Amino acid sequence: MKLSKNSIDDNISELLKTDLNKGFRLIVENYSQKLYWHIRRLVILHEDADDALQNTFINVWKSISNFRSESSLYTWLYTIATNEALSIINKRKRNAAVSIDDLGSYFTSSMEGSTWFDGDAAQMKLQNAILHLPEKQRIVFNLKYFDEMTYEQMSKVLKTSEGALKASYHHAVKKIENYIQRD
Amino acid sequence: MRNLNNIPDKNPFKVPENYFEEVNRKIISATSGTDQEGKKLPVHNRFRTTFLVAASFAGLILIGYATLHFLRPEKNELQVSEVLHGINPDSLINEIDISSLEENVSPLVLSEGGTGVNKKDIIDYLMLDNIEVNDIYDQL
Repeated sequence: MKLSKNSIDDNISELLKTDLNKGFRLIVENYSQKLYWHIRRLVILHEDADDALQNTFINVWKSISNFRSESSLYTWLYTIATNEALSIINKRKRNAAVSIDDLGSYFTSSMEGSTWFDGDAAQMKLQNAILHLPEKQRIVFNLKYFDEMTYEQMSKVLKTSEGALKASYHHAVKKIENYIQRD
Repeated sequence: MRNLNNIPDKNPFKVPENYFEEVNRKIISATSGTDQEGKKLPVHNRFRTTFLVAASFAGLILIGYATLHFLRPEKNELQVSEVLHGINPDSLINEIDISSLEENVSPLVLSEGGTGVNKKDIIDYLMLDNIEVNDIYDQL
């Protein structure tokens, strides 16, 4: 019988109380793929996603004893992963001297030249549209559309009210639809 | 809400072969054997250090007390004078309430020859301390 996400999280939280090493291993096994794809959609390049993922788990390990079992493991992990992804994006901005306005174009060209992207034209267009969203809207759209996160969970990850997140997602969808229909 | 229906649901990003197995292994090996901030220890280990420190302090205090108590010379009088040092004797006398003294002191104590202390001794003593003679006689 396959356990639900909540049951797995409960098991991990219980295990963390008695055996941190085993609990951490279970977190890595259950969350590395989910967090990787979340990070990857934000940073685009596999190498950056790989760095951010490893940093995420290093930070998880360092602060695991501060994790409160009554909190949601899922939102806690996504918060750390999102912060790591953002710090990689900021590093890229500094190193490549890319302006915030050109960031979408920069990511688009990185994606097009990447070995690790094999989407068709429609997918490329969707990714381009997403990459041209403002940073916060991009995160909100990805979490809702791809990770199917609830607004309540997202509110915990991004420390933003649910109302603001709903508005942000709504605007993001409109912009993406306009972008796709434009050509 | 997947209203961007014309776009295939397939993940367009790729990862190297066996990437997740390898990265999981790398993460586990990078963290195993390293300590994390405030790593939780079993309860008996967590409090063992505290107990040892507290026990050491208690031991030191006990030894110090025993040393002072058993090795220092007797000097009870000095201790009394030390206690009374800085206290004005007049203020102590003024605190004495004759009527309460009478209530609390057994008549036997105040009787002639009962304890070797007679009324005259008491009167003389109290007069030295500026207590009204009439008050003294009234009470005795």
